[in-house]
This record gives sequence, structure tokens and C-alpha cells, in this order.
Amino acid sequence: MNWWDDALHRATAEVILVGALAGLIGVQVVLRRLSFFTMALTHATFPGVVAASIIGVNILVGGAVAGAAVALGVAALTRRRGQDAAAATGVVLSAGFALGAALVATQSGFSRDLSSFLVGSVLTVTVQDLVTTLVALVVVGLVLSVSARPLLLVGFDRAGARAAGLSTGAWDLVLLLTIEVVVVTLVPAAGTILALSLIVAPAAAARLWTDRLPVMSVLAVVFAVGSGLAGLWASGRFDIAAGAGISLTATAVLLLSWLLTRLRPAVSPGAAGRTEVAPA
Amino acid sequence: MIEPFTAPFMARALTELALLALICGPISVFVFARRLSFVSDALTHTIFPGVVIGFLAGGLEGLFAGALVAGIVTAVVLTLLTRGGRVSDDAATAVVLTAMFSIGVAMVSRRSSYTSDLTSFLFGRLLTVSPRQIAETAALVVIVLIALVAGARALLFRTFDPGGAAAAGFRVGWLDLWLNILVALVVVAAVRAVGTILVVALLIVPAAAARMVTDRLVVMAAVGTVLILGAGYGGLLLSWTASIHYGVSLTSASSVVLLLVAAYCLLIPVRLIRDRRRRTVTVPRQRSSVHELVG
Amino acid sequence: MTPALTYSAVSVGYQGTPVLTHVDLELAPGQTVALVGPNGAGKSTLIKSILGLVPVLAGAATVLGDHPAAARGRAGYVPQTDTLDADFPVSVRQVVMMGRYRRIGWWRPAGKDDRRAVSEALDRVGLAGRAGHRFGTLSGGQRQRVLLARAIASEPRLLLLDEPFNGVDAVSQDAIVRVLRDLTGSGTALVISTHDLQVARDLADLVCLINGRQWAAGPPAATLTEQNLRRTYGGSTISLADGRMVLVEP
Repeated sequence: MNWWDDALHRATAEVILVGALAGLIGVQVVLRRLSFFTMALTHATFPGVVAASIIGVNILVGGAVAGAAVALGVAALTRRRGQDAAAATGVVLSAGFALGAALVATQSGFSRDLSSFLVGSVLTVTVQDLVTTLVALVVVGLVLSVSARPLLLVGFDRAGARAAGLSTGAWDLVLLLTIEVVVVTLVPAAGTILALSLIVAPAAAARLWTDRLPVMSVLAVVFAVGSGLAGLWASGRFDIAAGAGISLTATAVLLLSWLLTRLRPAVSPGAAGRTEVAPA
Repeated sequence: MIEPFTAPFMARALTELALLALICGPISVFVFARRLSFVSDALTHTIFPGVVIGFLAGGLEGLFAGALVAGIVTAVVLTLLTRGGRVSDDAATAVVLTAMFSIGVAMVSRRSSYTSDLTSFLFGRLLTVSPRQIAETAALVVIVLIALVAGARALLFRTFDPGGAAAAGFRVGWLDLWLNILVALVVVAAVRAVGTILVVALLIVPAAAARMVTDRLVVMAAVGTVLILGAGYGGLLLSWTASIHYGVSLTSASSVVLLLVAAYCLLIPVRLIRDRRRRTVTVPRQRSSVHELVG
Repeated sequence: MTPALTYSAVSVGYQGTPVLTHVDLELAPGQTVALVGPNGAGKSTLIKSILGLVPVLAGAATVLGDHPAAARGRAGYVPQTDTLDADFPVSVRQVVMMGRYRRIGWWRPAGKDDRRAVSEALDRVGLAGRAGHRFGTLSGGQRQRVLLARAIASEPRLLLLDEPFNGVDAVSQDAIVRVLRDLTGSGTALVISTHDLQVARDLADLVCLINGRQWAAGPPAATLTEQNLRRTYGGSTISLADGRMVLVEP
């Protein structure tokens, strides 16, 4: 029997890939405070996915189109005025959710689809899903490493970035679209809630442990993959939904990190300096 | 146009929506001004475990109590978490949202079939609202309105100028808790009847749409209430017409939300025209936070 | 030699609406101009127009011999520290290295020269020992010095500083002044916005008094007169004591 024929094996592989993907993008989401945008994106891709499945197109295409529209829309709205951005994101979220739900409701037997949209069905992934996630992981990894410096400068110092000749709007869009790719890949397999949880919680936990971006990325990926594997195990052990198990494990990692970093004696500036590699 | 509402269940649905319109108009203004969209969205999800525990412990009777307890607990937790610390506000909110919701899912998923529970939580059962539910909603509406009116001045001061409010002797932390609890109460009052999809829309969209036509908070609240009433009436009518005359099953909660969002979109040009008129005096503001792309 | 900056009868503003008008300014390499005016006078807008980020609506402007938009990215810029996210996980060395990004490009790894330039710049502002610290753990004055080091590392011929002495401690202020004098000595032209008349007097070759428009410009002694200040600051009254000027808000 092929190793991939076992659903649990496929789920394990998917959880590892999904964790890596979520951890990588999570660092950007947490640092740029884009959790709400991510949440809105998970809901707004929903009508695209449903519409695609109704007209019989690949659901990833549907989700990607809807998500790209939302990313562009949010970028345009936030360029106009910052004040309305939170509200506009909220409107996009409600609209996407309602539209998707309305579309689903026109089909019969919809409650199963809806709940799998929310909590995912990581145990039913196919080999094709795995390949898609792997491709997304490679693409997102490439984009993030190639644009690391512009994203760092834009995130840390917008005025300075503009003065240095960077188009901050264009780089924002690069980031939003990258998040969109991740969300569109994650949601069909993992569900909206788990996608959000795996993106935000491990990166937030990693941020507690370190001030160094590369370390933070590595930690976020490790936490996300670890939560995924532990959650999957807990799901089988305690007979709960896999998505819920993973998301609760990720939360536990964050809580534990918070407690441990609080208990840890305050890091003195000197100690932080010593961890630095001496300049060549 | 009135005929569908002679059916008792349609009349009850409209009554429920009208009651909610009374509080959601004013509350959404605060949600808008304080940028609590994400917090509201979180609250609609976090009461889910309360609903589940309440149902398991006391059946339909316990549901309301469970939602109430969960709502207040998360209001407190969110207030505490969003007061500084190294985990940024929105990340903390996201984690509370996903964690609480997952607890609810974990509990229902231990039962054999949970998808219909989840679905009714999402959509609510607007068309099966009972007189008892309307009475409960009405009671909460009265409580929320009194609490809102009593605290309006302090809440406004804190919204506009947190530093000044603190200097004037207001306890900003308590005011934030106050508002979060009010939002939680609205969610609890509304979610069973109208579902999470509609609640989050009722809390966010009305003020955002009203903001397009006015700068004044009181007018915003009034316009928001009117919009909800209009969308509630229109949405119920739409879903009735669609199912009776065209055989299309259009969930009423979805159609109310979509009408609200349509109103928002239609009002965007009004805003643009008003902006253009004032352009001689306004200068684009710098974003208040360096990288706060979204809220 | 190309002047670092020439503005003649320039208006700048947003969406066709001028924020600041009648700007006449010529800055030679190695010279310092102080932009002086009350809050909201248009100092930051003027700096942004030099960076090519706010359009010139009327008049003729050149920056380093080019149209401002064409010179974009060539002038160094030190933003106000309070616009930066103190919680962002970047080390002091990383921040200074950002000044080298334009040279090394966005993707190529930093070379030996770049690392040397970063260390030297940190040395010059007296923060060599803090290279590994997180930016946000530094004091306001130290952060300002890090941003100055970043500007030095980019080796600009024109450097713009937005209120560099706001909320800065005495040690940092001394360090910054020393570095700025070094820079002008090696031919860098400086534009400093400030509301501190003493800074303008001590550091600048030219003072430009602005509030919605340019009210006066020239050498400090000739420009910072009671009459000019009264015109710039409106109803504020000014009393002279021991040859020093005090602005009293009405």
C-alpha cells in the first residue's frame, strides 16, 4: 500500500505544509497588524469558492479571484483614508460572509459545506491538495525572501521608505496579495478559523521570545507545525474536530510562551547585545 | 408590501429586527469611532462555547444564560488584552476569537452530527423567533439603551481624546470595559435570532454607511437605525418573495446583510462628493500608526 | 558646483491646494538651512516636497540639480522618531543598514564595505556599543542618533532632518550637533526643520521663516528679527532680553 493512501498520513503531511505556510506569513501579519484583514479575507474568499464550485471551476481559482478583489479593494480604501479602514474591512467581511452563505443556501444540503468552510476538514485532504499547498509554500517563501528588505523598510518606517524612493502602496499590495495566496490555500483545507489561528497565534508566540526577525520566522514555523501535529494527535485521541484541536494547541503555545517569557527574568540590554553576532 | 407581514412569523421577525435596530444604530457608531470592528466580530464568535455549554446544561433555557456569561467573560478578557503588552491588540483579539470558537467546535464535534448546530449559529432562526425571545431581546434593548445613555458623555470623551478623558478623572479602562460589555450584550440579544453573520453586519455596517452622509454622531446613530429598519424590512420581503414566487431559497439573514452592504456601497459616491466639496480646506492626514494598514 | 537646492517662487501642496507659497531658497553644498515656524506652518510639507513626495504646484525647484521627483531617493531623510513603531523587531544595526539598501539593492547580500559603513556611522553618533539592541529599547535621543547614523551610512549630499531635537536629551543633542557639523564640513548640505530659534541661530547659515508662506529668509542674524518673527508667528508678542528672543503666545 502506498504511504499516501492513508488519510492520516496525508493529513500529517498537509498539517506540516500548512504550518510552515501559516508561520511564514504570520510574522508579517502580526508585525503589520493585519489580523483583521486576514479574517476578512478568509470570509471574503468564501463567495468566490462557492460560486466557483457552483459553476464548476476550480475552487482555488474562485477563491483567488475573490480574494484578489478584496485585497485590491482594501488597499484602495486604506490609501484614501486610514480612519475608515477598520470599518471598510468589517463591511467586506460581512458582505463576503453573507454573499457566500446566500450562495450556499441556494444549493441543497448546504450545512455540511458551511461548517467545513468554518472548521475545515484536514482529514480529507487529497494528494492534489498537498501539491497545491506545497506550490503555495514555495511561491510564498520565494516572494517573502526576495522582498524581505522592502517589506522591512515599509513596515518599520513608511516615511523613510518613501524618501528612499520606494512605492509603499505597491509593496503593501505585494504583502496583501501574498497573504491572500496563503488564505486561499489554507481555507479549503483548514477552514477560516483554523487558518486565522495558525497564522496569528504561532507568530505572536514567536514574537514574545525574540526581537530578531529571522529567529522569529523560524520559531513561528516551528510553533505552527508543532501545533498542527500535536492538535492532530489530540483530535484523534480525544475525538474532537481536528481544526479545533490544532487551533487550541496553537493558543496553548501562545499562552505558555506568554507565561514563560513573563517568568523569565527581564532580559538586560547587555544580554540582548551579546546574542548578536559580531560584525565582520 | 405589507401582506407578507400579516403572517405571524414574519411580523415577529420584523419586530425582532426593529428592536435590534434601536440599539445597533447607536452602538455601531461607537464601534465605528473606536474601531471595534474586529472586537465585535470576535464577540460574535466567542459566545459560541457559551451557547454550547448552556444548551448542554439547560437545553434551550440555558442557551441564553450561557451566551450571556461567555459574552461578558470575553468582553472582560478582550478589554484586558487590548491594553498594551507585547502581543498587539489585533493579534490578541484574533487569538481569543479562534480559541473560544474552537472550544465550542471541539465540544459540539464530540457529538455525532454537529453541522446543523453550527449552521443555526451562523444563520440564526429569524423566521422562528418566539414571543419569549422577543421579550428577552426587548429586555436587553432597554438595559443597553439605559447603559448607553448613562455613559454616552464619558464614552464620547474617551473616544475622542483618551488622554484628556484620563486627565479629567475618567477611568478609561472601565469605560472600555463598559462599551465592550454593551457590544457583548447586543451580540447575545441578537445572535440566537439572527445568527453571527447578521450580528456582525448590524454592528459594523450601519455607522460606516451613515458616516458617508454625515459627520455628526447623533445623526449617524439615527441614520444607522433607519438603515437597519429599511434593510430588515426589505430583506425579509426579498427572501419571502424569492421563496414564495420564485422558489429560490434565500436566507433572510443573508438578504438583510446584503441590503445593508448595498446601502453602504450606494452611499460611497455621496461621501466622495462631500469630500471633493471640502477639499479646499482638508489636507490628507498621515496615517496615525506607522504600519496599521487596516484598522 | 551644483547647488544642493534651489527653490524660486515655489508653491507646494496637495491636490492643487497650496499649503506653502512664495518659497525662495538656494542652498550650496556644505550649507545648512533651518526651517523655522509654528506647528502646522508647512515645514514638513516643504521637506516632503524636497523629497519629491509633495508636488511643486508653481515656481521652479531643483534638488541636487534635478527635478525633485527625479532626485527622489538621492536625498537622505531623518524622520521624527515618534512616527516609528517602537515595538518593531529590528536591531539598531539593521536600521542603520537600511541606509545602505539603495546602494546594495534590495536582494544582494550586504558586503564588507556596507558593514564597515554601518559600524562607522554608529561610531560617529556614539552608539557603537548598542548595535545589537532592539531599536525600540533605546531612549528618544538615542533613536534619533540611530536614524542620523542611517542617514550618514547612505552618504547623502543633501540631508533633511524633521525636528531632530524634539524630545532629545542633552548628551544626544551634543552628539547630533557634532555630527551635523562634521557632515557640513565634508560638503553635505542640511535642511533642518525646527521651532527652536536657538538651534537655528547656532547651526544654520540660512534661516527660512515660514507659516503658510515664506515670510523671510537669509542669514540668522539678519532674519531672526522681532518684526519678521512677529509676522511669521502672527499675534504672538516677542520681548527682547539680553539680546535673546522670547516668543510669548497671545
